Amino acid sequence: MDRIVICRCEEVDLEEIEQTLINYQCSMREIKLRTRAGMGYCGGRTCRPALNAILEKVSGEKQPHQIPLKVQPPVRPVSLGRIGETNYE
Amino acid sequence: MYDVLIIGAGPAGLSAAIAAREWNLNVLVIDEFLKPGGRLLGQLHQEPDGKWWNGIEESKILLEKAKELNTDIRCGISAHTIEKTDHGFSVYTNEGILEAENLLIATGAAESPAPIPGWTLPGVMSIGAAQVMTNVHRVRVGKKGIVVGVNVLSVAIAREMQLAGIDLECMALPAINSATESHGSPKKVMKALLRIAHLAPSTAIRFGSRFMKGDGTKALAVKFFPKSGVKMWGMPIHLRKAVTRINGTNQVESVTICDITADGEIIPGSERNIEVDFVCIAGGLYPLAELAAVIGCPFQYIEELGGHVPVHNEQMETPLEGLFVAGNITGIESAKVARAQGTLAGLSIAKRKGQNLAKLENQIQQAKMNVRTIRENATIQFHPGIEKGRSRMEEAYYDIVHG
Amino acid sequence: MNSHRILDHPVLGKLTIEKEIPFTFDGKKYTGYEGDTIASALLAQGIRTLRVHEESGSPRGIYCNIGHCFECRVTVDGTPGIRACLTELNPDMIIESGKQQFSPFKSTENQDDLPRTYAEFEKQLKGEKEDEPDV
Repeated sequence: MDRIVICRCEEVDLEEIEQTLINYQCSMREIKLRTRAGMGYCGGRTCRPALNAILEKVSGEKQPHQIPLKVQPPVRPVSLGRIGETNYE
Repeated sequence: MYDVLIIGAGPAGLSAAIAAREWNLNVLVIDEFLKPGGRLLGQLHQEPDGKWWNGIEESKILLEKAKELNTDIRCGISAHTIEKTDHGFSVYTNEGILEAENLLIATGAAESPAPIPGWTLPGVMSIGAAQVMTNVHRVRVGKKGIVVGVNVLSVAIAREMQLAGIDLECMALPAINSATESHGSPKKVMKALLRIAHLAPSTAIRFGSRFMKGDGTKALAVKFFPKSGVKMWGMPIHLRKAVTRINGTNQVESVTICDITADGEIIPGSERNIEVDFVCIAGGLYPLAELAAVIGCPFQYIEELGGHVPVHNEQMETPLEGLFVAGNITGIESAKVARAQGTLAGLSIAKRKGQNLAKLENQIQQAKMNVRTIRENATIQFHPGIEKGRSRMEEAYYDIVHG
Repeated sequence: MNSHRILDHPVLGKLTIEKEIPFTFDGKKYTGYEGDTIASALLAQGIRTLRVHEESGSPRGIYCNIGHCFECRVTVDGTPGIRACLTELNPDMIIESGKQQFSPFKSTENQDDLPRTYAEFEKQLKGEKEDEPDV
């Protein structure tokens, strides 16, 4: 089987995500912590819909109204220098 | 301190800015891209009456109007996070913190991926990426390519690429896996495709619409879908073929394509390679609502609207005081609907400032009617159940606000 | 040069070039046009690989073209992490592609890889336990 990368930033593949979901019957947050999917440079902005689709398929449950994986600020990477700037007003 | 800060200078954001400026509000519009217009910029399609919908021209009209009203529009600004303050909102950006009494999030939509093996190779891009390159930057994304994923958006963009003289081998589905299921099932795709049948000069697709009454006959339509695909503007659209792999070492060199059953299963032994140097992935659009999420706006998952959508009412207000949404963040629809929603949001924000309420209320009612009429008359509908989705959202809003 | 430009378009008309903008990418000189992003100027030259994955070295280019995926991040005038798709091309920009990083904690071939994730750690731990001889 060809490898299907889901999280491009951390190069986490479909098989690893599916296996983790099956083995641990876990939440999206736990998937992120266990596999690093969605934890890379883009902050999961690319793979999030794919992860949601995989969870829906594997769990057989429709997506909840609450967003499955909490959206954390900052929604774009910010350099520490930028945050530390005194003229940041 | 602005009366209103608008995030996103697309059709919704610009229309809202115009409406708010007409009521003399102190407005700032920010956008991450280097020019205003949002995804409207790339749009180019022929209406059923033969006229061209040219996104660049449509953006210009909005922009000129906004400029006449001395609207402050700043590009190249990314919002990182938002905090609620006693007086309104603090928006943290790469250009510092911006303060506003009211906030309109009009960030539009983003594309869902349809991950298949090899999709990280250079030369593979989202269909929207190809649209912007083609129509905005006037850059050919490759010599010959294939579109993976058949939906309203990808068919429209494939046509735009064709217009620009870009050679497309065909459109086909992504190989089915748990992440691509909704884009890889011929039955599901067929159903969606028939909604744009009226745009196609193709009898084969129109023929298909006769099968669309029940689920059983829908399967028949897929079964009898021609093996050679149907042609739209001379380009084959395959619902019974799937791209199983994108091949290449340093960039795209070819794709492997297979015949599939009506359920999307690969027919063994049918695989062949097609030489291409670019691939466009089309997994559909979802509302881009991350900024509404970080500020704690409640959400609803409504499939007809494209996924998770911030809760809002028909006036574009969210349950968070002073927070408004408009455009594709509220559900995937055409730019015309986004524009009408923007106007409505701008007026709703003006109402919070509380001047000449009778006249304003009248305008709001008209703007609401306008959104409904434009929705009903939409040439391109992204989801057949859009009205149903909209009323479910309305109910959710009242449940949350009035308990 | 700029051979990938769409000069004529049946609806949008002829491409009007206001001004040429010189820049360098990985030390080579190129020319873009006013209004270009870094990404469009490079793609117009047929350049598709903007970086490689920091760890695996797999090549990457533009993907979303709207600033979400960060696949097109490059170093501009010494500042890393700049999205080529959202950044306007300016005269004499020095643009560099993203390179593979050293992975000091990654073992070489013929050795067991250190776990990268907790799941891998557990897997290895289980494997080791199974291998332990019975006492």
